[in-house]
Amino acid sequence: MSDGSNKTLPEMTGAEALVRLLEARGVDVIFGYPGGANLPIYDALRGSTIKHILTRHEQGSVHMAEGYARVKGQAGVCLATSGPGVTNLVTGLADAYLDSIPVVALTGQIPRSMIGTDAFQEVDAFNITMPVCKHNELVKKETELVKAIDGAFYIANSGRKGPVLLDFPSDLLAETHHYDLEERCHLPGYQPTTAGNIGQIKKALKAIDQAERPLVLLGGGVSNSMAVEEFLSFVRKANIPVVRTLMATGVMSSDDPLFMGMIGTHGNGLANQMVNSQADLIMIVGAKLSNRSLMRPDLFTKGSKLIQIDIDPAEIGKTIQVDIPMVGDIRETLREVNNRIEQKPIRVDKPLWCEKKHVKSKTMLAKANEAEAMEWVFDRLSEIDQKLHVTTDVGRHQVWANHHMINPKHLPLITSGGLGTMGFGLPAAIGAWFADQETSVVNITGDGSFMMNMQEFIVAVEHQIPLTVIIINDFRLSMIRELQDSKYGQRHIAHDFNRDVDFSLLAQGMGGVGRTVFKLDDIKPALEEAIASKVPNILCIDLERLFRLSKINLVEAS
Amino acid sequence: MSVANDQRHVIAMEVEDKPGVLTRISSLFSRRGFNVESLTVGHTHKPGISRFTVVVLGEEKELEQIRKQSQKLIHVLKTCHVVDKDTLTEFELEQIGMKVKHGVMRELAIVKVHYDEQSSRPINHIVERFSARMLHWSGYDLLLEFSGTEEKIDAVFEELENVTVLESVRSGKIAMSVEPIKAV
Repeated sequence: MSDGSNKTLPEMTGAEALVRLLEARGVDVIFGYPGGANLPIYDALRGSTIKHILTRHEQGSVHMAEGYARVKGQAGVCLATSGPGVTNLVTGLADAYLDSIPVVALTGQIPRSMIGTDAFQEVDAFNITMPVCKHNELVKKETELVKAIDGAFYIANSGRKGPVLLDFPSDLLAETHHYDLEERCHLPGYQPTTAGNIGQIKKALKAIDQAERPLVLLGGGVSNSMAVEEFLSFVRKANIPVVRTLMATGVMSSDDPLFMGMIGTHGNGLANQMVNSQADLIMIVGAKLSNRSLMRPDLFTKGSKLIQIDIDPAEIGKTIQVDIPMVGDIRETLREVNNRIEQKPIRVDKPLWCEKKHVKSKTMLAKANEAEAMEWVFDRLSEIDQKLHVTTDVGRHQVWANHHMINPKHLPLITSGGLGTMGFGLPAAIGAWFADQETSVVNITGDGSFMMNMQEFIVAVEHQIPLTVIIINDFRLSMIRELQDSKYGQRHIAHDFNRDVDFSLLAQGMGGVGRTVFKLDDIKPALEEAIASKVPNILCIDLERLFRLSKINLVEAS
Repeated sequence: MSVANDQRHVIAMEVEDKPGVLTRISSLFSRRGFNVESLTVGHTHKPGISRFTVVVLGEEKELEQIRKQSQKLIHVLKTCHVVDKDTLTEFELEQIGMKVKHGVMRELAIVKVHYDEQSSRPINHIVERFSARMLHWSGYDLLLEFSGTEEKIDAVFEELENVTVLESVRSGKIAMSVEPIKAV
């Protein structure tokens, strides 16, 4: 009785096979945390060319893989152990799932013979992670290991990208078998559509040509499918104004004459007016249209013809009815669209139908005093004219960064849009640096978000990453307070931390550089110094004092 | 989900017979807010390929969304929204749109009834009327098998109210579109 293995193939442990397969797929870095069940993988990593980054918490590892993937354009890899290791990954997997970021998560599982016995550090990783992954598998047989790993990278990186988790029992990793590393996955049920339907493209072009006030809604899918060039070429050829969602910051420069701003809850008035009442045709390009983007789906669809390009057929008409759907890869579809426009130009001699005004308007929420001071920080940061990868966390600073970060060298922002994960920004910045070590990284965060994953700052110190963490510190959860102001009749609870933290001292305690800024004039030199130092810095902006002092300054100056 | 427009729909799927595929499908339906009324799984003539028939309540538009989401699962090969050929008119079918396929649906039931002199007449009547098969006779209890449309099985259960039913089970619907498929 053969066990299905070919004795002529090289004999190695499951973990060795795994590491060889990762190397063959160009993986150069893994973010991980060891534990009993994944130690065989660590043992095999010792002789590998792959660099392992020891995080301080598993959640950090998956956000680092996300930041890496956002910069590199292909899957980041994270590694965790069974039980608490995998439950700590869940938030990051859900984040990657909602923002369509390719991540391959590898987890150790207890030995096959013990599965289902409530063994030490046993959780049902397969079922826990199923609803937050594009795909996942518990690899139970040696004969499935190679195919599963090949499939994981293929699935994560193709179609609508997303996280894939593979769970490996530790005995399978530790025992030897004759592995055929050249095996490839066979996925008859997975054939992501790539080329857009020609008939639909023709229909869409005709509709755009005939429309009086056409508008393009730009989503995160455009940069995910590396279609920025094709997109810009299309809107310029057709001379159509553009609005965007949160996930598409920086695809178009904010001073571009065609760019009209961001839509949604935290968008600006002009952009929302355009989608809700002015446009008679809206072409949606790679946007999932959640409740945060579509404030009034009834107005959105009323009186305007809708065209939608998306690689995921299930996104077509998910929240609104669409007139002309185009299922396909955005890059390939727009290339075809551009070719056709070149042969037969559309909208010839039609001027831009709208006027660009107050694009730099505030968010829709009531403007708080410190908000102005926050703007100063972002304006100064925008003045730093060098390439940077900028990540944000979640809260008021995220919204402001989205409106005020205008230097194209700092964009697109790496941010958690779908899940809204506080604590995303710091590890994501570290991951981004590992993908592009020539470029310094900046994490804009609030005190609340920073404290959710601040342990990862030590990783930046360990690897001497040119990272500047800008903490917009107001000693409270100010977005919560804004919501309590606007929706709960100013009944405040649980927004105030009641305890100041000396973040600069904290930075020093972790081995980095820390400083606190509370004067307007100090912002720029502090930023410049921190970024130029190329070492891990924490720059704590004391928002309240900054605003108070500046008012005094203003009075004194007058 | 509005209750008023809720209709019963059938989604038929061909899937790869991989571990966890039942959970993937059932959890997808539950997290997207659908109540599964019945779910039937079985092997097909092709090795490694299983067939699911899921009956759910919901609006037409939402059903199309859940069908697409199911189709995205890596191990799902084909999905098809089937409507009962016998219960909808051509006009209604047209209203629903092109993506829906005409189909036939059947259900199976096994019933254990107490059989004695007194109940013999009504049971014989049911057996004859619904062409039941007699599967087992223990000397006291009789096992009967019924198959047919859901309406027929409903009618069987109505008739059974007149006799002593000890145990019963319904398989849930299985469905197949009647549209021709080119041999591959």
